[in-house]
Amino acid sequence: MPLETFKTSASLTFGVELELQLVNLSDLDLTAASQDLLHLLRRRDFPGNVTPEVTESMIEINTGVHTNHAGLLAQLQLIRDTLVRAGDKLNVGICGGGTHPFQHWAERKIFPKPRFQEVSALYGYLTKQFTVFGQHIHIGCSSGDEALFLLHALNRYVPHFIALSASSPYFQGVDTLFNSARLNSVFAFPLSGRAPFTLSWDDFAHSYFSKMEDTGMVKSMKDFYWDIRPKPEYGTIELRVCDTPLTVETAAALSAYLQTLCSYLLDRTEPAPAEDDYLVYNYNRFQACRFGLDGNIVHPKSHQAFSLREDILSTLRKLDSYADRLGSSAGLDTIYAIIREGNDASYLRMRHAESGSTEDMVEAAIHRFRDTPPPSC
Amino acid sequence: MPDLLPIASNLAWPLALAAAWIAGELAHRWTGLPRISVYGIVGFVLANIQPGVLPYSDSVVLLANIAFGLILFELGYRINLRWLRNNPWLGASSVTEAFATFAAVFYVAQAFAMTLIPSLLLASLAMATSPAAVLRVVNEQRSSGQVTERILHLSAFNCVLAVFTFKAVLGLWVFQSTGDILHALWNSLVVLLVSASLGGLFGIGLPALLPRLGAGRDATVAFALAIVLLVALTHALKFSPVPAALAFGLIARHRRVALSQTERNFGALGNLLTVLLFVFMASTLEWQMVAGGAVLALVLFVVRFLVKTSSVIAFAHLSGISWKKGLLTGMALTPLSAFAILMLEQTRHLGIGLIDQLTALAAITLLLEVIGPVITQWALALARETHDADRS
Repeated sequence: MPLETFKTSASLTFGVELELQLVNLSDLDLTAASQDLLHLLRRRDFPGNVTPEVTESMIEINTGVHTNHAGLLAQLQLIRDTLVRAGDKLNVGICGGGTHPFQHWAERKIFPKPRFQEVSALYGYLTKQFTVFGQHIHIGCSSGDEALFLLHALNRYVPHFIALSASSPYFQGVDTLFNSARLNSVFAFPLSGRAPFTLSWDDFAHSYFSKMEDTGMVKSMKDFYWDIRPKPEYGTIELRVCDTPLTVETAAALSAYLQTLCSYLLDRTEPAPAEDDYLVYNYNRFQACRFGLDGNIVHPKSHQAFSLREDILSTLRKLDSYADRLGSSAGLDTIYAIIREGNDASYLRMRHAESGSTEDMVEAAIHRFRDTPPPSC
Repeated sequence: MPDLLPIASNLAWPLALAAAWIAGELAHRWTGLPRISVYGIVGFVLANIQPGVLPYSDSVVLLANIAFGLILFELGYRINLRWLRNNPWLGASSVTEAFATFAAVFYVAQAFAMTLIPSLLLASLAMATSPAAVLRVVNEQRSSGQVTERILHLSAFNCVLAVFTFKAVLGLWVFQSTGDILHALWNSLVVLLVSASLGGLFGIGLPALLPRLGAGRDATVAFALAIVLLVALTHALKFSPVPAALAFGLIARHRRVALSQTERNFGALGNLLTVLLFVFMASTLEWQMVAGGAVLALVLFVVRFLVKTSSVIAFAHLSGISWKKGLLTGMALTPLSAFAILMLEQTRHLGIGLIDQLTALAAITLLLEVIGPVITQWALALARETHDADRS
């Protein structure tokens, strides 16, 4: 089946998917609660959409299509409140965070749905190891060509999103020394990484995708686990590198940052993206995963090294007028606050340093998800 | 030539435990039956091949109580009292199923011409779901989900309600037979409150003590020892280990003492004492009594099953689960044995000799010791909450 045509959507509209952890409140380990939770949520109108994920201790929620930060944030808060109420009724804790700090992958159960069972049969332990939790942000594009342009123009900014959202310092009970250990689990899949370089949708659909399809390795775009992938059926590109933050406020802020950044990139004032930009891609990505905001990255064009924190700040300064136009200034203020106060990974590490227990990190995450306002601005 | 008789009698318990363990492993592998069901069968058969083969001894009773104490601690540790506030319908369902069971069993016992006090005692014991059976099956199946969470909570709640009712009836009985209201109160409510407070003290004291010993996070041994001490203390003072151990676990949990999953069921120690607990319980039942009470026991089994199941179903939708999960939760509440036997053991010092009066209890205990865990396991599997569900 050839790749479907790229469905046009309004430029710079956006929407969010969040994968969330379901936690047993006695031992704070992950618990297979998604079926019970979905049963309860289906009884009433849900302010968005909620779906099962591959293992039964995760669920995914997604918002509708939005044009500005305030609308997106309001819906995310409504979704959060609905989830928290349902969790209370079933004695299930719900929280963000890119990994659960001490869960053991062998304990996980695969959700009984054919696609998940197939994936599990193909990838074996990788599937259960893939019990990690990400935020995906969709940005609407007016054409396939625009989508590919944005996808590649964003390559140099991918580390920003990794560092700002990073919330997975612990994995399987130990401090990984990474800010985002979650992305290491994603790398294990053979079709992960970056999209091939082309700026023409025709070229992408007819030479790249059809060739890949011909190899028998892929059937649809779903089989690619790229950092950014085009989603022709929605008419969007989907940024997939973010860890699920600890609060929906941060999730909305990251989306606003991406939306504003795309609006800036579409003015095409920056040098056009090129294949050679990807020479520094994996190194920069590693720096962001490992060191978070303290990472050092190499500029793909000038090959100069500078700190990730500085690079985000100087980017934010360029976005002011775009933020005013899109109504995303409040979101960008939250990004400034993260840079000042540290990302969620550093918050979780701090909790661990105080209490010495990984259970306490989960408890802190549950509290932060349900009732903490965004970092003060 | 040494005298063989004392040697044989010294070896009786260790051999019985070994036999039960082997039988449990084999039967579990071949048929998937819960191990504890098999331990019960072995205990009952060995004790009844020839009376006196498994000699009654205080130390075995104490060990069985310790085994039960470890289990109750673990159960208490898994109870979230805040859930009752967040979901009051769960509390409603708990109170309803416990007291509806009490009423129904009392009514049936009266209909079978049982006298008042034994009927009341039987009815109060029947309220409880054996935490030992429920927790062992949950751990053995590594299950998780609403049925699992709810049977753990409902079992803890109905045990507490059953202990209160049982002690109140005992108080009534003491008052009737002695006319001494103080003695009556002492044997009922005071004992319960003091026992629970004792457990609470342990729950506060131990976590405070541990850091000074530098024991760090691997506190399993400390907690196991504390439970042994607590049970021995309540045993010696004729208090009730049930509320004591439950309160200990509950307080430890709400003070956020972190115990990892393997530590919480006390690993090999927990497994070993479970064998002893279930063999011991079944060994206290005599064949003649079981046969004598069989008819009433069957009726009680059916009535109790129907009442518990329908009470939980009635509140299923309101409390946020499907009718099917409500049905399965109610079914999974069937086990009874460990709780009833140990409660009765504690009344020995009062000289009531209840076991002898309650032949039906012996019969239903045996029935439920074998069938109860099977039903619980079955319900968890039907709810798809067991760990192997995705491979079936």
